[in-house]
Amino acid sequence: MQTEVKFSSKRFLLALLLCACSVILLQNNNLSPNASFSFNAICIASGLAICFLFFLPSLILKKRTDSDVPTLARRYTPKLRIPVAIFYSLYFVYGALYFLLPYIDMFHTKYFPGVTPCLITLLMLICCAYAACKGVNVISRFGIFLFLFALLTNILMFGGSLSELDLGHYGFEFRGDVNSFVQNTLYFVTPSFIAVIFACCSGVTRNFRFRQPVFTLIFTGLKYAAVIFFVRFALGDYAGRQTYPAFVLSRVAHFGPFAGIESFYLALATMSVFMIISLFLCCISRGACTEGNRKCVIIFTVIIFALYVTATYINSVKEILSNPVLLLLLTFAAAVMLPAAYIFVGRKSNAKGN
Amino acid sequence: MRRAISILLTVVTVIFTGCSNSRQIETASIIKNVSVDRRGGQVVYTFYRLTSAQKPWGIDVPADSFEQACALAGEKFIPNLSLAKLELLMLSEDVYEQVMQDDVDYISTQASFSPIAYVTICDDGAIDRIKETNRTQTLIEEQLILIKKNNPSVNINYLSIFNNFAREGEESFTVPYISSEKELKVSEFKIDREKMKKFSK
Repeated sequence: MQTEVKFSSKRFLLALLLCACSVILLQNNNLSPNASFSFNAICIASGLAICFLFFLPSLILKKRTDSDVPTLARRYTPKLRIPVAIFYSLYFVYGALYFLLPYIDMFHTKYFPGVTPCLITLLMLICCAYAACKGVNVISRFGIFLFLFALLTNILMFGGSLSELDLGHYGFEFRGDVNSFVQNTLYFVTPSFIAVIFACCSGVTRNFRFRQPVFTLIFTGLKYAAVIFFVRFALGDYAGRQTYPAFVLSRVAHFGPFAGIESFYLALATMSVFMIISLFLCCISRGACTEGNRKCVIIFTVIIFALYVTATYINSVKEILSNPVLLLLLTFAAAVMLPAAYIFVGRKSNAKGN
Repeated sequence: MRRAISILLTVVTVIFTGCSNSRQIETASIIKNVSVDRRGGQVVYTFYRLTSAQKPWGIDVPADSFEQACALAGEKFIPNLSLAKLELLMLSEDVYEQVMQDDVDYISTQASFSPIAYVTICDDGAIDRIKETNRTQTLIEEQLILIKKNNPSVNINYLSIFNNFAREGEESFTVPYISSEKELKVSEFKIDREKMKKFSK
């Protein structure tokens, strides 16, 4: 069992930043092709503003009580502890599969078509389970290394695509409609899942400041804008024909005769997905038992793997597990409704105590 | 115990990830370049494999399009066909109007192809030269990099050629042309989009 040692909130939010940035690495194909770059920039701003609203209840909770939802559920509502834990477990299992499915699909179709997808998933989940047993503190330490690696990959990816930029043909005109705005904004709300991780694990952090999540979301927005800018101006219409345009961007990056940094890109995507699933498993074990509880982590790892296998054979299951609207609704409940409820419960019990 | 688990995991990772459905590099048919020309009225796609020998090892596949040629090559001629390392597509000036737009369009939908592989139009002499020695491909690639450096508006890869076909409102664009009177020489070649549309599916 892990003893609870508080660590820097900055490090925790750095890990969350890397998780949020991974969305654009895996699922850029969800954007509407009718929208121009400047239109997408507005969608990014509005999407991330909604993300901040999702963050708000758990930020208030952290500021007032220096605690997170699972701890408060134990303290204020012991009878509701199990339903709350079940709901968060359901959310994180769903979330893990939501990110695992596109990643394994990309790994399989783009890089190693000969390898069985279930085997890659199994190995990935074993690594995630091991990390989850170590706890949030250790995973966030890994985030520092991942941040440096992500920085290097992004410099190579964008620097190597600079010579391919075609600003003349794909101008900065403002083009888009209401449907594109809704579709793209919904896509840019996807990183709000980090608000749920924050709601579940912020209790183990110290020196929290309100500006930290704001900076996290601003950096996420800048990363998204950079990827969309380079996809639009370096790949042009070719990007619309590909399922994973960010992967193609890494393939196009070249420095003289040396071309392609897709192995860097894939390593970054792998480590980002590893970090997301490890944090999800940590959150599950924090909610259901105690942080780093091996039995709990192993049980939920097996559930995730079983659901992955089911999704590969039954298409309707895969469709449900890849539904962005369902993820958003669950995120809203997990990041906004439950923390907000505990703000009121906390106020009430404080008033009673006084 | 911990060390034993770590060693076991390392061994499992090494053994399982690459060995299921693996192919020895000697037996895999990694295609380095493809040339397209007309022989006896039929369009022929020649797939040149990666080889350490001096003379290229090409397999002729008669087909109407690159898509059909890849399917036929995989089924009948080269069972372990791999096009992930394709670096150069050479189109004879006799056939480019017929196949170029559809072939580039097909390539853009494929996940495994590199979008920065070179595409060039050439005369029959250049097609013959590539059959003689592997050195020809290196020479052509060097020339293509040079022409791009001297004139950035020349479109030398799938990515930029596809984007030019997709663009509305422009009548033509330029691609490289390789001629082989005495030695290989690369010049610019204008592609008329209207002409191509007649042949495009």
